[in-house]
Amino acid sequence: MRRRRLLFSALLLLPVIACSVPDGSAVVTPTLPTTSGFPYVAEVMEHRCGTLDCHGTVARNLRVYGDEGLRFAASDRPCVPAATTDTEVGQDYDSVVGLEPEEMSAVVAGHGANPDQLSMIAKPLGIESHMGGTVFSVGDDTYTCLTSWLSSATDTAACLRAMPSMICGVAPTSAFDAGVLDAAPD
Amino acid sequence: MRRAARATVLGAVLIATGCDPVVSNEINALGGEAPGVRRGPLHRPGQPCLLCHDGALGDPPAFSVAGTVFNDPVDLGGADGVIVSLTDNNGIPYMATTNTAGNFYVTPDQWSPAFPLKVIIIGANTERIMQSEIGRDGACASCHVNPAGPSSPGVVCLTTVDGGTPP
Repeated sequence: MRRRRLLFSALLLLPVIACSVPDGSAVVTPTLPTTSGFPYVAEVMEHRCGTLDCHGTVARNLRVYGDEGLRFAASDRPCVPAATTDTEVGQDYDSVVGLEPEEMSAVVAGHGANPDQLSMIAKPLGIESHMGGTVFSVGDDTYTCLTSWLSSATDTAACLRAMPSMICGVAPTSAFDAGVLDAAPD
Repeated sequence: MRRAARATVLGAVLIATGCDPVVSNEINALGGEAPGVRRGPLHRPGQPCLLCHDGALGDPPAFSVAGTVFNDPVDLGGADGVIVSLTDNNGIPYMATTNTAGNFYVTPDQWSPAFPLKVIIIGANTERIMQSEIGRDGACASCHVNPAGPSSPGVVCLTTVDGGTPP
């Protein structure tokens, strides 16, 4: 008898729950990760994630622009010009921070703790299902590059080690040496 | 009982062969076979081979990597006898050679690579190194289509019209 009453109460509650709507005035103010050092992160992501058959396509979440793959300017094409533009770095930043803003805020607010709660870390680690399979491992240079950025202390040396020696026929370090990519995205 | 078993088998087959509408639309967009070219190693140069050669039930033989090498991006003549040198993420190499249509294909039995892949094409007097890696799609034409633009480096070719290096 008591169970029936409980069930009846639950059934009465269901429409109330189903008809509730989110608070329209609620505003999420994300805690964004630093833009400092992000050009290094972007260059690594372009190489590891942004090939034209993976995230270098407009049809996929976490769209990644860059010199090797998808270009932002209509007049550009892969490897022409042979350097990622500031605009592309800015677009990559927006892609990354806009993917899961609440989770990203939590990780950044926690100074980079528990980065694998982000899909951008969990998927390439193989913790979550990923069409591109396992891309990097805990502790390797790519992992260190990305997670150090999330903790606001980008390990640029790890990022450089995670890049190939040549990208589009040019040493990636030359872009940073020349200051081409040092500007933080707007 | 027998009827139920038949229905179950039929349902399973239908599910297994059920078409992904996105893939179906992409295949339909490729159009029919070119006149005078029958289905086989020489057909459909420049098209994304793995759309059909994906190993699905009822489809043609599966390919792990396949594509077409053209002489140049304008006349689109197939480059015959080009060596396509592939190396997978574990450093395991495989070499394929293009046929008279410029097509090459590798079956999973021959080579089932771990992505990403590095590619070099080697012609009689030319060697071209692919500037980026192949992330996960073994069909060259999924990315390499004409015209070149922000999302494509153009078709795979040995030479460019202006004599420059293809990306």
